[in-house]
Amino acid sequence: MDKFALLQFYGLLKREVLEHRNLFIGAPAVVALLILVATIWVATQIDQSQLAEGLRYVSVLFDGLSPFDMAPFFMLLAVPFYLTLYVCSVIYLINTLYQDRKEMSVLFWQSMPVSNLQTVLSKIVAIVVVAPIFYVLIIFAMYLVAMVWLTILGISNDVDLVGIGYMFLAAIASLVLIYISALVTSLWLLPSVGWLLLFSAFAKKTPLLWAGGVFILVGFLEDFIFGTQYLANWVASRTSDPNQYLIFEFQSVFERVFNYDTLFGIVVGAILIAGAVFMRRFTD
Amino acid sequence: MKDLILRNRYTLLLATLIVYMGVLVAEGMITGREARVIEFENPYFDFNMNEFEGFRDRRNVNEDVRTS
Repeated sequence: MDKFALLQFYGLLKREVLEHRNLFIGAPAVVALLILVATIWVATQIDQSQLAEGLRYVSVLFDGLSPFDMAPFFMLLAVPFYLTLYVCSVIYLINTLYQDRKEMSVLFWQSMPVSNLQTVLSKIVAIVVVAPIFYVLIIFAMYLVAMVWLTILGISNDVDLVGIGYMFLAAIASLVLIYISALVTSLWLLPSVGWLLLFSAFAKKTPLLWAGGVFILVGFLEDFIFGTQYLANWVASRTSDPNQYLIFEFQSVFERVFNYDTLFGIVVGAILIAGAVFMRRFTD
Repeated sequence: MKDLILRNRYTLLLATLIVYMGVLVAEGMITGREARVIEFENPYFDFNMNEFEGFRDRRNVNEDVRTS
């Protein structure tokens, strides 16, 4: 890939981020703010001596432990961010190509030296690779504020801060796991990404209804035509257990990505994404 | 064939869905796919949604024991 193509792609990514700042930055920032406010409110309801005792206990608990071993426990704090990212991803994917046609900006972008493939790929990279970076940065900022607050609390209550330092390191290590989990989840759910993009490029109105309606219809059709339920079984296999895509250990990344089900899902996702790329030629 | 598929948005959607269904059904037939969940090692949490049914059954049994 030459330098010009890279610059083109960077420009497309920048456009996605600028046009969807609310989904990429606003939504996780609001979640972080709510968590911080809720934590501070809970802390103000607890007696000062009990708070100091709790802080002392946590400090002793984390003191000397490997941050990488303790990192998975901080992934629980990221659950609200994961949920926000999933909801924002669905909103983004189902609207992005539809919105381009609705506001006729698709004509402008098709007059530029960028192909439909590049445009669709930029949208996928934006939500799969770039959006989690913003989420992780905002979680990092939240941890930083919490750390400053705990440090002030520790100093004012004469608590040994070494353990709190270890806790902060574990929280930072968890950020890597959170980002890798978001990436692996996106690969695992690539068929859903492709499905939403396909109907975003297809529907003249209400793309979400089209996506949901045809999804149910295709399941019925398979049962009616072939007398089988492989589609429903496949969907059930891929969505019922978050263990399949959440990463709690660095060692397990390889087996999560390079297994038959993930790779087959990528193939199915690629079929649907190809459909979305071709569908983009119909601009009316 | 290409002209037929790319004639309008509906033919393209139909072609994409036929390929999608064809691949999934063929793979399902070859591998004999059933609704299943891959069990990955996770030493920290256990939240398999398939086990929620069992959880509800156990809770009902516990409630029966309490009321009797």
